[in-house]
Order: sequence, then structure tokens, then C-alpha cells
Amino acid sequence: MNSNNLMSKIEALLFVVGDEGMSVKQLAQYLEVEPMDIEAGLSELQTQYEESEVRGITLKQLAGSYQITTKPALADAIKKLVENPTNQVLTAASLEVLAIIAYKQPITRAEVEDLRGVKSERPIATLVSRALVQEVGRAEGTGRAILYGTTKEFLNYFGLKSLQELPPLPDAAQAEEEQETDLFLTKFQETFNQN
Amino acid sequence: MSYEVKLDAFSGPLDLLLHLIHRLEIDIYDIPMAELTSQYIDHIHAMQTLELNEASEYLVMAATLLAIKSRMLLPIHEGEIDESELEVDGPDPREELVTRLIEYKKYKEAASELQVLETERAQVYTKPPSDLSEFMPEEQLVLFDANVNVYDMLSAFQKLMRRKQLKKPLHTRVARQEISVKEQMRVVVDVLKNRGGRAMFSELFPYDDKATLVVTFLTLLELMKRQVVFVEQQHNFDDLTVLLQKEDIGDELEQFDEQN
Repeated sequence: MNSNNLMSKIEALLFVVGDEGMSVKQLAQYLEVEPMDIEAGLSELQTQYEESEVRGITLKQLAGSYQITTKPALADAIKKLVENPTNQVLTAASLEVLAIIAYKQPITRAEVEDLRGVKSERPIATLVSRALVQEVGRAEGTGRAILYGTTKEFLNYFGLKSLQELPPLPDAAQAEEEQETDLFLTKFQETFNQN
Repeated sequence: MSYEVKLDAFSGPLDLLLHLIHRLEIDIYDIPMAELTSQYIDHIHAMQTLELNEASEYLVMAATLLAIKSRMLLPIHEGEIDESELEVDGPDPREELVTRLIEYKKYKEAASELQVLETERAQVYTKPPSDLSEFMPEEQLVLFDANVNVYDMLSAFQKLMRRKQLKKPLHTRVARQEISVKEQMRVVVDVLKNRGGRAMFSELFPYDDKATLVVTFLTLLELMKRQVVFVEQQHNFDDLTVLLQKEDIGDELEQFDEQN
């Protein structure tokens, strides 16, 4: 199968499966070619979408599977179709709780509350109902508290390929140190320039 | 100095403290307790509309600040303490608070990073999968993984709501009276009967108004509980399949009335 032919098949399959997406493994299985060829085809296809101003769609890897999506630059054109353009975004409290769960999973509600210094029942309920977090087990010991973790929908909602793609957790202490080092260097530079 | 403070501007006492530390340009590793405590207390006075359950947490923090402040004022009487316990550099009463603040600050910053990602992702649209069930051979449809829990249901519902957002009604519908779970139980069972006892999860939601969608979802959970329907998940796709187990639901409807 030549690569143009393969790309057209990949495109057709991804079009049909829509937001369910397909992984490299699945594509290889259905098209009966090696995963390596699929990867090459996907990346070539993506390059062609991105480089062409004629195309309104592109490829995106979300939660481990490839999906055909519209290009971000066209959001305004599409919003006119949508009845309720104000997408229900998460509140500051929900985002805070979600950040803690994302980086510290599996984690209990009590642990989240200790860290925030504030009750977090409601934000957690919101996140569960929006399928962004779910129960991933029970803690040892008395009470067998629910342990929470993030879902596949979480990755999709934030446009992430996997949890490894989460931005690194800012390290406050490190930031302070860097500032101090910078300060030292500028001072040193000044002194050096004066001499 | 006092001014209006909106409660929802802060997501908790630690958040308020960080705000004050930032505004007063305080070094977090060397907090002037007297100043921070008085500012903090002024703030919670200004928050007159504190909701009761959150007020308690702000007050606990105020008490903690006062305790730290007073511990820092305590003189150390040499006679009372064993010399060996006196470290050259005794533990700073502020230490625990600073640790908590720094830890909390990390996640607050991570949350704003997530918010950026959320905004970016909202610029991108996808479409629901095409329905190929009519082209599928029977035996392929029976490849099921019968392990569906409430989280799978919620996840399917969440996806459905997102897809519905893209469907703008062509004309405004006249406001309908609210439907009940009981009525909807009949409707869902009828739909399943007409489809030969099997339907995709999304096929049971041909509505565009949120209230009906939610009621239908609750109805499905109710029918699952009463074992009128069985929900399965295919290996290939995430979409759930709903199977009718029982055609006559007269008894269930009666029981439902008794319980509600």
C-alpha cells in the first residue's frame, strides 16, 4: 500500500470514529499494517493539514487516541452554530481541587481538604459529575476513604495526550532560589562592570 | 483600613493569606505575624456575607494566626526549660504555616495552568462517531465487556451533553411541561421495544433541552437498578449499549410510585 493510499484510509477511519478517536494500535489492526507505518502516515497527514490554509480540520492526539478536530483558529466561526457559546468552564475552586487530584492521585477528600484548608465536598461532587475525576480505590485503614484520580475525560477536556503531558508542578522553593541566584548574578555583574 | 471583599474572590483562608502576603509584599519566609494577623482579621470582618460553613474555616485560621503570634511573643524563661532542649535556633512557630502556604501555592499555580489548557481546548471541536450499527453483522455486536459502572455512565452522559451543545434547534420549541422519571421510564422502554430490545446509549436521548436529558439519564439509572435494562460496553468503542431485559414494567412503575 503506498503512503498516500494509507493516509486516505487513516483519514476516513478517523472521520468515522469522530470524538471516540483511535489509537495507533487500533489503526494498525484495522488497516493491517505495522504501527510504524501508521505513525508515519499520521504525522504526514498532520503536517499536510497544518500547512494547508485550505483545510479547516487537523489531527490532535487526545487521551491516547487520535481524533480529527477543527483548527483552533476557526473557533469563532463554529461558535455561531452553538446554542450556548459560554462553555461551562470550571470554577476556581473546582480547578484547584482538580489540580491537587491530578498531581497527587490517588488522594482522599480529607487530604485535599488539608492541603486547601477548606471543605472540598462540593467541588469534588462537581468534578465527579462532569466525569473528570472518579473513584480509583479505597484507602487502607479505618473508614476506607474513597481515593480519587483523574479520568480519560480529564485528558480530553484539557487537550492532553497523557498524564505525562501535565505541565510540571511549579516548585515555589525553587523559584525563590532562582530569583536569589539571579539577584546574585546581577549584583556580581554590576560589581564586575564597575571594576 | 476596610473595604468590600467578595467572598468568592478567595477559595479559602490560605488563598486569602497568599493574597495579603502578595499585596503587603511580605517575605513568605519571614512573615511579620502582627501585621499579617491584623490584616487578615480586618479582611474577615469585611466579609460580612460569609457563608456559615466557610466562615468557620476562616475563623480557625484567624485563631491559628493569633496563636502563632502569641507564641512568638513568649519570652523563654531559662529556669523552666531543660538546657538540652534549647536548640541554638529553636523551632520557629511560623514554620508549619509557611510550609502549608508554600504547598498550597504550588497547586494554586498549577490550577491556573490548567485553566489556560481548558481555554485552549475549548477552541477545538470534534464530531460524534458515525452510527455504523446497521452495517454491523449481529455477531460483531455481541462482543461486549459487561463491566459498566456508574462512572462509565457519567462519562457517557458528559460526552452526550458536549455533543448536544453543537446542535442548535432550528426553531424555538414551545415550553413543555416538565416530564417525570416515571413517564420517561415508559418512553425509554417503548423506544427499546421498537428497536428490537437494543439501542446505543446516545439513541435514547433525542432531546435538546437539558432538563429532559437529565431526567432521561436518571430514568436509565432507575431502570438499571430495577434490572429492566442492562448496560454493556463494546470493546471497540466507548459508547454504551442498552439492552432491554423486561418488556412489561407495570410492577416497576407501581413500586416506583410507592417509593417516591
